[in-house]
Amino acid sequence: MGPAEGKSPISRHFGKSLSFVRKNGSIFLIYGFIILIAGMAAIYSETFRTASNMANILRQSIILGLIAIGQSMVVLTGGMDISIDMIARTVALTVATLFATYESDSSLIVPLLFLGVTVGVTLGGINGVLITRTHANPFIITFGMASILRGVNLAISTTPIRGIPSPYLRIYDAKIGIIAINVIVMGIIWYAVWLFSTRTRLGRSLFAIGGSERVAQLSAIRINWTLVSAYVLSGFFAALAGLFVLARMGVGDPGTAEGMTFQSIVAVAVGGISLYGGKGSLIGTLGGVLLLTMISNVFNLMQVNIYYQQLLLGLVVLIAVAAYRSPRSVRPG
Amino acid sequence: MRMIFINTKKFVRRLLSFRPTPRFVHAVDLAGQWAAPIMVGLVLIVAALYAPAFFNPTNFKTIAIQFAVLGIVVVGQTLVLLVRSIDLSVSAVLALGAVIVVQTEAGTSLNISLVQAFAVAAAIGLANGILITKRQVPPFVATFGMLVFIQGARLAYTKGQASGTVPAFLRMISIETVGIIPAALIVWLIVNIVFFFVLRYTRFGRWIYAVGGNPSTSRYAGIRVDMVMIAAHTICSMLALLGGLVLSGYIGYVDLRLGTDYNMNSIAAAIVGGTTFFGGRGNLFGSAAGAALLVMLLNLVVVLGLPIHWQLAMQGLVLVMATALQGFRQFLLSR
Repeated sequence: MGPAEGKSPISRHFGKSLSFVRKNGSIFLIYGFIILIAGMAAIYSETFRTASNMANILRQSIILGLIAIGQSMVVLTGGMDISIDMIARTVALTVATLFATYESDSSLIVPLLFLGVTVGVTLGGINGVLITRTHANPFIITFGMASILRGVNLAISTTPIRGIPSPYLRIYDAKIGIIAINVIVMGIIWYAVWLFSTRTRLGRSLFAIGGSERVAQLSAIRINWTLVSAYVLSGFFAALAGLFVLARMGVGDPGTAEGMTFQSIVAVAVGGISLYGGKGSLIGTLGGVLLLTMISNVFNLMQVNIYYQQLLLGLVVLIAVAAYRSPRSVRPG
Repeated sequence: MRMIFINTKKFVRRLLSFRPTPRFVHAVDLAGQWAAPIMVGLVLIVAALYAPAFFNPTNFKTIAIQFAVLGIVVVGQTLVLLVRSIDLSVSAVLALGAVIVVQTEAGTSLNISLVQAFAVAAAIGLANGILITKRQVPPFVATFGMLVFIQGARLAYTKGQASGTVPAFLRMISIETVGIIPAALIVWLIVNIVFFFVLRYTRFGRWIYAVGGNPSTSRYAGIRVDMVMIAAHTICSMLALLGGLVLSGYIGYVDLRLGTDYNMNSIAAAIVGGTTFFGGRGNLFGSAAGAALLVMLLNLVVVLGLPIHWQLAMQGLVLVMATALQGFRQFLLSR
């Protein structure tokens, strides 16, 4: 008679759900935080608890959400993409410039959307190929790429580019009732990405490589190909974010996605994806994105000075970093 | 058309299944070690051909001071890279120290404000080191978080305004000249000589190479690995502060943008100079050559009259190419 058979079905069930909670502790923690902060804000601020503000938070979370999805793909493999905000900016500025050149011809919207995505995917691909072919550190390669693209973006324009056709702006504006269509689309994207990361071969390979590159290789996973795909995906989502910012601003803004890289890393890390790679879930990332967006929304409603917002963001990061759970095998560097 | 297609395919296949000969490995190794000095020579030749203004004495003084600042910061960055870590918070420390000195100097004596600034820098380095060794946070993440935190703290402290006048002492150690040599260059030389001897002839210096070469073996050999790494980070932060003081003395005021490029430039200079991310390889001579290369390239952009954003692209390009070269070299050497 094994020990498990002696237990009553109820306690066995309880033990199972307890281990589920323990396994997904960080996810429960972050959604607990969200509910806590939302509850507190709803008590103290009348504006916060309006339905339109809630809908607004969801819409505000889209840019960070797209970038954080891309970042998650890379972080899961144990890398990091610092160039992600600059890729978004390059895409936004390129598309805006082309719109301006062709006198905001609205028949060009679809081809230019494709072009923007292509630019993002190409830049991500360059990152991936450089990293896999030269065995260089992903952090530094993308850091350098960010600097190059920053220069390129300044070369494209230092002033806002006008001439976005008005139908394009409907990407941001179109609504059904109070909920914007883009929020619904974003929900579908989150679901699709979650399915991708948990159910598909490539998605699982990302986890496997992050866990142990050696073991992944021995399990016949094509390391280089998978890594390049991760950076391509990151470039793809960065491009989507850039195109969305373009619709939101209505001009090609040279400050597009400023600071988004760091916020996305925070969202990913707070959401429980291990920065060593291999562990975590997109559901956590969604929680991190919602938390960050909500905090900044609450700050704006309470009119907290932007400088203190920066300080607090840094503090949150430091605490998150200090509370970091060390992996079993220490990998310095 | 068909022929070309087949040839390309063959070429790609050969490229992918490539086996390096010992001679090739050796060549890449040498290239990795000597890339910076060779490139410095090339830049000088290009400058001589296309931009005679580059050799103007005033321009040379500018280059010397900028080189001194980067050269001081890169020493610390090299130490940190040698122990398999990295410090992305140098730019913030550099600016924060300058702000502290400039602002507190108004009320108190210079000595006290200097001591305060160095204490803050040491504390930051200590915090970096402890996060990395005791909590096992990846160095990138720990120091990147520190960067954002310090920037936030500085913004909250200064409210984003430029700060007052720089003390005369800092002007002196930066832009005054001794004979024809700028004082900043002498500060740089002292720092380099000190750390050259430390790395070469002291136990601590050998520990740094040992820890970077192989942390677990070092631990078995009785080296206190954590202490060495924490010390390296503390020294790095304090050197970054010193660089910041020289820089603020040169610029003459302290503002938000002060020193923002120094993260990337210090890493790029060290990497171009032959230090790898995998620790235990690299020296101060290479780092100095890397710093000289970067400063000269950036200056060349100005002298040639190119738009200033080419500086950014140039920095990034140097960093990416150097990292790719060193990563490839390390990969070949460790096969």
